[in-house]
Amino acid sequence: MKSREQEYREIFMSEALEYYDAMSRHISELEKNPEDTAALNELFRLMHNLKSNARAMGYNQIGEVSHEMETIFGLIRDKEKSFAGTVVPVLFTGVDTLGAMIRAVGEDAEMPPTEDLLANLDRLVQGEEPILIIAESDTDEEAGRKLELSDLVYIQIKKLDHLLNLVGELIIDRDRIMTLGREIGHPALQAAASHLFRITDELQYSVMDARLVNVGSLFNKFPRVVRDVAASEQKEVTLRLEGQDIQIDRNILQIITDALLHLVRNAIAHGIETPQERQKANKSPAGRLTLSAQTERDDVLIRVADDGRGIDVESVRRKAIERGLVRAEVAANLDANAVRAFLFEPGFSMAKEVTEISGRGVGLDVVKLAIDSLGGQLRVESELGQGTIFTLVLPTSIAVKGALLFELEERSYAIPLMHTDSVVALEPEELHVVGGTLMARIQEENVPIVNLKTLLHSGDGPLPAAIHEDLVGRQRIIIVDYNNRKLGLIVDRFLRQQDIVIKPVSKPLDTIDLFGGVTLLGSGHVCLVLDVPALTRLFLAKRP
Amino acid sequence: MKNRILIVDDSFYMRTMLKNMLTDAGYEVVGEAANGQQALEMTSATNPDLITLDVILPDNTGLDVLKGIRQVNPTVKVVMCSAVGQEIIVNEALESGASAYIVKPFSEEKVLEIVGSALQNSEENDA
Repeated sequence: MKSREQEYREIFMSEALEYYDAMSRHISELEKNPEDTAALNELFRLMHNLKSNARAMGYNQIGEVSHEMETIFGLIRDKEKSFAGTVVPVLFTGVDTLGAMIRAVGEDAEMPPTEDLLANLDRLVQGEEPILIIAESDTDEEAGRKLELSDLVYIQIKKLDHLLNLVGELIIDRDRIMTLGREIGHPALQAAASHLFRITDELQYSVMDARLVNVGSLFNKFPRVVRDVAASEQKEVTLRLEGQDIQIDRNILQIITDALLHLVRNAIAHGIETPQERQKANKSPAGRLTLSAQTERDDVLIRVADDGRGIDVESVRRKAIERGLVRAEVAANLDANAVRAFLFEPGFSMAKEVTEISGRGVGLDVVKLAIDSLGGQLRVESELGQGTIFTLVLPTSIAVKGALLFELEERSYAIPLMHTDSVVALEPEELHVVGGTLMARIQEENVPIVNLKTLLHSGDGPLPAAIHEDLVGRQRIIIVDYNNRKLGLIVDRFLRQQDIVIKPVSKPLDTIDLFGGVTLLGSGHVCLVLDVPALTRLFLAKRP
Repeated sequence: MKNRILIVDDSFYMRTMLKNMLTDAGYEVVGEAANGQQALEMTSATNPDLITLDVILPDNTGLDVLKGIRQVNPTVKVVMCSAVGQEIIVNEALESGASAYIVKPFSEEKVLEIVGSALQNSEENDA
């Protein structure tokens, strides 16, 4: 853990070096064009900031020099002095000396002498002529010159993507070597393999870490968005940002940008009431909108919460029936969560009227798709009259996912842990056939159960009605969870939980949306990764 | 209810230090702005109780920003952050409605004392 002093020092250094670079640039600009007011103002501001920061850190020499420099740039700005004659070399020396002092702080080295410089700066302030000391030999000075490079590098995300892909390949080979080592039983090979395991593990986390950015880098764009949307919707909205320093993979943040924009616009356009409506409902005239981030185990939770009118479950239920998404008699028995899940169905829009900013015809299904593509989850909670909370559950990183491996017809499959709720083994007596579908009572909830084999082999037609007599012995069931709907999948055998690297399925197999990708196991076998959203949709479309 | 504060300063170092001081003392820092435009946007979006405002900003002077803030939110308390030698600007700021000022480099005690009393005055006025 870094101490606060250390953190301050690092921030001071990186900012001071940045200031020094900018100062060098601006003073050269000023030399070319002494009338460059923008450069002059910047020099004044940079000196001022360096002075304040240096004094706060206790680097008084830097503070003193930058203070004098600031004063002189101020005099030039106010036309009491001009950037000409002997003023120029003194100020150049000043900037160089500041650079040397900043480097000295960074290297814990001794500060360069500043007496002559300070005396000259003082003379300039007093309106006297400075005494220029011509260096005895220019070569000494040239030899002492150092070119400073920043400690930070900007890197194209494309390069990091490539690096991450390579790490993925490496992990697959590593697992293969680990398995071979065990199979061959050679102790030296096993030792080398386990060393390789540790190194690749660390490499993987370092690469993942290099891609992390603060959620704040996206959140901080929202004050402006909220202001504009609120103005055009004639609403009053107070935005609150929380957890800006939570870190997440840069590409994940990129992918959810539009989704977040959409949720925020929706919240203001449809969630938050007008000031008049709010006052009638005994609420403050300004609606509260909160964007927050927090970590939960390996996931990042991003929430968009408003204190507006909330979602009317009954009206969603009616509309779902109207749209033919569900039969009336089934809809009547659905709980509020299951009803709200219809909001994410394609083309389902609750907006009574289409407003300019919340988007025409673009519903929550688009948000849902973006989150699905990341293997994340979208949840909604709402209290009528109290407000709505959308929660995006996102992986911190994209490369490696926790998965549950199982066997079906002697083939290995994987299901991402993000979508698995639990794993159970049930006796046939614990399963019941209701209307042709197997059901089980799991954690106080009735969950439909389907034999994965039957589902994958069902062809184009509907699923055959389940027959209780087909169940022989204990049934191994994986309960998956998607869009607030649970579904149990009967499999042959549970294997283990493992971190896997998912590779996209290549053409022409990429049209089969039941499989989210493939992964290579240590045994060298290809393992298909099931796509839970697609599987759930298939089941809903085909259930008898 | 925690008092909510917006920090306006173009130096990341200064913002970090102020944020730590204020958060440690139990205030909620609702945002950080690095220039005048951001300051105005965040003032209307976050509706803070108090703003610490640096005198010199890259796109605007603190005084202009102060006037802009007053238009967006006439009641928010504003504490100017200045350095030695800026007394003239500070005076003008106080006349334009700033509540108080802090002189850099500042100590934690001084910051908390000034922010605390500026907020207390606002509560008395509200009462």
